[in-house]
Amino acid sequence: MTATTGELEFLAKDRAALLWLGIALLVASLSVFLGLREVGAQRTVLGALVENDRAEREVLTGLHQDWGSVAYYTFHLTYDLPSDFAFAALGTRDTAPWKHRVRALALEGQIYETDADNPDFALIGRFDFAFAASMLVPLLLILLLHDLRSRERTAGRYELLSATSASAGSPWFARAALRVGALLLCLIVPLLIGGLLAATSASKLALASLVVTLHIGFWWGVCAAIDRLCWSSPVNLTALIGIWLALASIVPATIKGSVEAAVPLPDGGTIMLTQREAVNDAWDLPKSATMEPFIERHPEWAEYAEISESFEWKWYYAFQQVGDQVAEPLSNAYREGRIKRDRLAGRLAWLSPPALVERTLQGIAGTSMTDSIAYEQRVRDFHSTLRHYYYPRLFRDEAVSDASLRERPEFSAMNK
Amino acid sequence: MTTMLFAKALSVERSGQRVLNNVSFKVDQGEVQALLGGNGAGKSTTLLTFLGFLTPASGSAQVQGKESRDDVGAARRAIAYLPEAATLYDHLNAYENLRYFLSLAKADAHRRTLDAALERVALQAEAREMRMHTYSKGMRQKVAIALAILRESPILLLDEPTSGLDPAAIDDFNRLVRELAEDGRTILLVTHDVYGACHVADRIHLLHKGELAGTFDRPSGIDRIDTEAVHAAFATHAAVS
Repeated sequence: MTATTGELEFLAKDRAALLWLGIALLVASLSVFLGLREVGAQRTVLGALVENDRAEREVLTGLHQDWGSVAYYTFHLTYDLPSDFAFAALGTRDTAPWKHRVRALALEGQIYETDADNPDFALIGRFDFAFAASMLVPLLLILLLHDLRSRERTAGRYELLSATSASAGSPWFARAALRVGALLLCLIVPLLIGGLLAATSASKLALASLVVTLHIGFWWGVCAAIDRLCWSSPVNLTALIGIWLALASIVPATIKGSVEAAVPLPDGGTIMLTQREAVNDAWDLPKSATMEPFIERHPEWAEYAEISESFEWKWYYAFQQVGDQVAEPLSNAYREGRIKRDRLAGRLAWLSPPALVERTLQGIAGTSMTDSIAYEQRVRDFHSTLRHYYYPRLFRDEAVSDASLRERPEFSAMNK
Repeated sequence: MTTMLFAKALSVERSGQRVLNNVSFKVDQGEVQALLGGNGAGKSTTLLTFLGFLTPASGSAQVQGKESRDDVGAARRAIAYLPEAATLYDHLNAYENLRYFLSLAKADAHRRTLDAALERVALQAEAREMRMHTYSKGMRQKVAIALAILRESPILLLDEPTSGLDPAAIDDFNRLVRELAEDGRTILLVTHDVYGACHVADRIHLLHKGELAGTFDRPSGIDRIDTEAVHAAFATHAAVS
């Protein structure tokens, strides 16, 4: 029997180690299952919405005879498809909106109106593979490794084990390596099975496995360093839990607080309110108060800027845009602020390996803050295309035709 | 005769205190020697220094002619060590414990070999498959002794090996030690059992407060060292301390 098979047999009879490994397997499997279920539900919702969206536009075709009504009543679904690895790291998909039904009206309110729902989701919390791998796994590793040497010292076996071992590092390295390897298997196997079910690309799975392996390697190093100090098992455990608490909770909380203090930004609700107030006020203002700032932005429509009736669709859509223009500085500040915060948080995350792992996995999954902002930009781009489609028809008062409707832009989701 | 263990003016400090002071002795191949002394005499410290767990403050501890601290691995491969009150794994049975420890030493662990060693230490066959938490202290000690035998190392360092054994088992053990020595194994045992040491050892070193307080040899043609003389020296030092 080799030393490795000896350790393997020994591990197979260590009930405490088997318990922690079983919990690791359960946690990883559950997180993958819940992630697959959540992403499946999101895909089902999107599938139904895409179908409804198309059917609704078909029903509306021919129903309205002026472009103002067509633009007012027609919604366009925009959405962010979950990637093939999103099941493992849901990231911002449960705190930031990933679908909007937008019209050619003022955009800011349409983008941020869903923000008000988010605290409900945030309260429930997220349990995905990224959370398990970044926050829970270090804890399980600590429970597996904290007393490798110390319990042998307490039991009076340390010298016997060391003296019996043929090589200087044995059996401690082999014993720790087997536990680390087993823990890694308990994590990676459910992830790979989830990846197979979700048809995840091999490169993403390989990268995610590497990240998890490096993270476990880091905590193995921490456990080994503490173990070398020759403290008792309870002291080792206390020290390691303290380090885990600091790196997984206190440091990230401090980073979050510092980043928020360093980069203040308006909230989505304020942007929505500013835009809506601007739009509502426009009804009571002289038409010129709307058309002048609109024409400043769109001089190509200057010759159509005169509003002679009490209500004209082109004026209506102009004040929708002006509403967006009023909220624009806030909206830009919000967007740029979030990007700044994200970059700063990304740099500071190196101080907290668990936070860094969670961010990295979200990056692989396309569920990071950067991805959320990119999706928001795609919604803005699409909305801009929509306006550019409607404005010539509204300002020139063209007749609605099937041929023209067929040219109407469609949102196309990006596959990640 | 080849010198297997050599303590040369050996001094060791633990937590800033000198616990072994200028101790010299050597053990040749096939010899049984005992370190005798009360608690804190430096007996176990001497063994741990040969094993490389402790570093000499001065002097040297040599195993097969090499300084043990220079190549701890080589020293430990040459030595089978039985610590005081050896605790094997409670959740394993005797076979599993032996197989595990022998796997660390990369030594043979066939069932027949294990049974032969367990026969030699007189552990009942019916107990061998039982988990060790059901064992008495003496039975545990027998398994630990079997492990030391199975290592097939040329040197055995035994720390209080008869602790927990009943008188019949001690007698068996003493006989076993003599057999191992006749097979060419070198044995250094630590004890405070004067009677047992006199019966099994070729030479006894009396340690007192980290210093060598006397050496007693087995006279030729006699089967044991003079128990009364050793007892008297031991008692004198105990009275002084």
